[in-house]
Amino acid sequence: MLANADVEEVDFEPEEDDLMDEDGAVDVDASPRAPLPKLKSAITGGFSFANAAPKKTKGRGFREETDAESNGRMAGRFDSLDSDGGPGPERSIEGWIVLVTGVHEEAQEDDLQNAFGDVGEIQNLHLNLDRRTGFVKGYALIEYGKFSEGQKAIEVMDGAELLTQTINVDWAFSKGPFKRRNLTRRSPRGHRSRSPKRRF
Amino acid sequence: MAGEEDGEFYLRYYVGHKGKFGHEFLEFEFRPDGKLRYANNSNYKNDTMIRKEVFVTPAVLRECRRIISESEIMKEDDNNWPEPDRVGRQELEIVMGNEHISFTTSKIGSLVDVQTSKDPEGLRIFYYLVQDLKCFVFSLISLHFKIKPI
Repeated sequence: MLANADVEEVDFEPEEDDLMDEDGAVDVDASPRAPLPKLKSAITGGFSFANAAPKKTKGRGFREETDAESNGRMAGRFDSLDSDGGPGPERSIEGWIVLVTGVHEEAQEDDLQNAFGDVGEIQNLHLNLDRRTGFVKGYALIEYGKFSEGQKAIEVMDGAELLTQTINVDWAFSKGPFKRRNLTRRSPRGHRSRSPKRRF
Repeated sequence: MAGEEDGEFYLRYYVGHKGKFGHEFLEFEFRPDGKLRYANNSNYKNDTMIRKEVFVTPAVLRECRRIISESEIMKEDDNNWPEPDRVGRQELEIVMGNEHISFTTSKIGSLVDVQTSKDPEGLRIFYYLVQDLKCFVFSLISLHFKIKPI
């Protein structure tokens, strides 16, 4: 694990809406005390939620022995793009990816093109569908070629309205891990508002 | 939605089987610090293991939690689901709020398998949730690394 102390302390998103704000913080150091219950995954290798209240557990997975093979499954080297591990958004191999949430279930690709194409050329757009209903699942992933375009999309479109719904826009990838802050609280404002919001 | 915003979060999904091409499987996990890991192994035509990892933002984890919360999978139980068998096994492990589920079942070929099971309602929720989660993860991985998952 690369996570060093410096990285740990850095809050990668200096804004207020970080879902990890609450008490009972997940400690990524995974100290060995009170490991109840352990996650089965080999990847996490005995990772446990420190400072956490006991969990209600359910499922056959808890009643099975983890065999050696499943322990080896996710062991070994994982490829990742070169990253300096610091805070801030991470570049993807061909561009910069932003996540749009709160997308209306009847949104079309054109709606997103119109709303997000002004700030830069969209290289790729994934508007995934709910497998049961066939409607839009509620999110979109958009790739821009340039950092500045992604940043502009976040500035202009985060909190904007698209087909009567408020959408939120943020980077999808980060250079390093995030850690919940202990002192800050979620802002009563539902979302960031930096500039006048547009309607589409 | 309960469990969507508060508390910790972990997700792992595994599907695989052992056959003439060895142990073929797909597994991904979202860790509480934002690390997304994806592994896909097939020995078919001497394919090698694909292992990718990247950190996602809190926004991505939040969306993942939303998808899980809205599915209401945490209310289900795998007691009456088909047991993993020679054809394969699936595992879904989620920690959200103060709940921790670790479900196992066989591979599900189609909705017919769901309908003929002893718990069609619960298994249907699992069936669609897994597809929605895979879809989300495949988009993230393929956009970031420009590989085609599976």
